[in-house]
Amino acid sequence: MSTRTIYLALAVLLALWVVVPIFLIATLAFSDRASVFAWPKGILPQHFSLETISFFFGVAGVGKAIGNSLIVAGLTLLFAVLLGAPAGYALARYRFAGADAYRILILLTRAFPLAILAIPLAVRFINLGLYDTPLGVALVHTALALPFAVLVTSSLFLGIPRELEEAAWTLGCNRIQAFLKVVLPLALPGLAATAIFAFVISWNEVFAATLLTLRERTLPAFLLTALNDSPLPFRFAGGFFLIVPALVFIFVIRRYLFTLWGIANR
Amino acid sequence: MAGIRVENIVKLFGRVKALNGVSLEVRDQEFVVLLGPSGCGKTTLLRIIAGLEHAESGRVFIGDRDVTALPPRSRKIAMVFQNYAVFPHLTVFENIAFGLRMQKALPERLRAQVERAATLMHIENLLERYPAQLSGGQRQRVAVARALAVEPEVLLMDEPLSNLDALLRLEMRAELKRLLAESRTTTLYVTHDQVEAMSLADRIAVMNAGRVVQYDEPMKVYQEPADTFVGGFIGSPPMNFLRLPVEGSQARIQSLTLELPSSPPGKDVLLGVRPEDLEAHLEPQPQSFPARVLVVEPLGSHLLLTLAYEQQQLKVTVPPDFAAKSGQTLWLRPQPGRLRWLDPASGQSLTHARQA
Ligand SMILES: Nc1ncnc2c1ncn2[C@@H]1O[C@H](COP(=O)(O)OP(=O)(O)OP(=O)(O)O)[C@@H](O)[C@H]1O
Ligand SMILES: [Mg+2]
Repeated sequence: MSTRTIYLALAVLLALWVVVPIFLIATLAFSDRASVFAWPKGILPQHFSLETISFFFGVAGVGKAIGNSLIVAGLTLLFAVLLGAPAGYALARYRFAGADAYRILILLTRAFPLAILAIPLAVRFINLGLYDTPLGVALVHTALALPFAVLVTSSLFLGIPRELEEAAWTLGCNRIQAFLKVVLPLALPGLAATAIFAFVISWNEVFAATLLTLRERTLPAFLLTALNDSPLPFRFAGGFFLIVPALVFIFVIRRYLFTLWGIANR
Repeated sequence: MAGIRVENIVKLFGRVKALNGVSLEVRDQEFVVLLGPSGCGKTTLLRIIAGLEHAESGRVFIGDRDVTALPPRSRKIAMVFQNYAVFPHLTVFENIAFGLRMQKALPERLRAQVERAATLMHIENLLERYPAQLSGGQRQRVAVARALAVEPEVLLMDEPLSNLDALLRLEMRAELKRLLAESRTTTLYVTHDQVEAMSLADRIAVMNAGRVVQYDEPMKVYQEPADTFVGGFIGSPPMNFLRLPVEGSQARIQSLTLELPSSPPGKDVLLGVRPEDLEAHLEPQPQSFPARVLVVEPLGSHLLLTLAYEQQQLKVTVPPDFAAKSGQTLWLRPQPGRLRWLDPASGQSLTHARQA
């Protein structure tokens, strides 16, 4: 057997490993109660039905949790782009003392375990009145998303030749006009990808969201506490809602993730 | 309309001295070409004049205005970048119109200017395309058209024709020259191409290692190089340099003695002579010296001979029907009045006072 076949087999195995659970969750989320409990389960969804989904939405707190998740993720997206893009631009365009150290420092924030931070953070948030608010959770999520936002936008701006901006300056633009007329249109798709990535990070984050909220749960935090003592259909529908936005978004921005990770641009 | 004056520009990139005290004056409406080997600081000088780079010291004037502290947009210049810098998200039309839109030009004027510049660069049928759909040479022409369209006081061009094929380059060169003479735009133009430099320039500034080593009319630069670098860099094949012993106020090549314009500082002197300024003869001649043929290269319009005089090599061009074989001895007669004398130690010409 050639190495190529082995790689292929491994790749298929890996893909199945990821896809099969997602597939099961998705099909069962759209099946009726009977097939959720049925065993053995068929490969294909047997009875298409919105019963499970509507049951899920009927549970008290789900609607509010989704709303909270949207608010938190939206705020995270906003903060991450508004703070991350300027930092990324500075890293890409200016040579300043400590630029490299700054770059590494940004990554180091991700190495800092959230578990250690959580308790002091909760105490501080209670003092500040941020505890149990979407804004508080969004701030923590921004801290999580920001390193990615800075590094992705910095490589994004690096990919836009400085001469384009300079040409705009010589043609009568000041720095802001040149940014708006030349850099921004070119960076827009990448900035959108950065925003979506921040959104997904926030949407899927469960640890900080659980620790920093009591009533204002986000969806993952709500599900985490509710999942263990919930009926099976609820779990499937909940799982589905956790996975799907991330999958869709990652799919949309995959091209940027590839370039970010150094895989050939396709 | 305005001239350019730069004074004592020093530019460091870390420890690299890109420009080492450059002073240059381009008169109003003049066409000056910057010529020099790769890495000598041509682009850096243009960028400093454009305001894209800040010099460690020195001043830049455009017209009577000291623009040293002004941002690029206030300098009334247009620049063609070495790598084109055409905006990829705009059509060719919008690229060319960019500067006019910034000036808030009226729609009729805008359209007319864009079409004029595009027609001039032969890209009038590409106006709706995006840069990604253009060849390198077409992009380059968009970049030139974009700079021409704003009708700047001062035009800075960094190798604007380098990516065109020989024929198109020849044509564009002539048209650019005509257009710029017509519009009386002061132009500073960077090129690697000596022929382009000779044909376009009112004056050529030859740069080497961050300095302007000679600044003069094209024929002067060619015939009276300020030092061995200029003589060797300009002309193809380059100028020959023969090291000769000095006797009083004369230099000696075997039986031939040549009068020196001034007495050189050392015991030796360098004779600089262009390959076409040595007349080759098969028989001994008065006022000539012998040299042995090493290589004969037929180049179509002429033969290029490589000869050895004692241990020194030199190149001579002769008519294509000249019967020369390698191993043969020829008699070379230097054309009086076409000889340069240089100091072998410093490489400087004996008559040419070094320019700042
Ligand atoms: N941004 C920079 N950082 C560091 N060094 C630089 C930078 N720009 C230019 N240099 C250095 O300055 C010197 C002059 O560069 P410049 O680009 O002006 O050369 P050039 O004459 O335009 O060459 P070419 O004909 O190859 O375009 C070179 O040694 C180059 O390596
Ligand atoms: Mg250059």
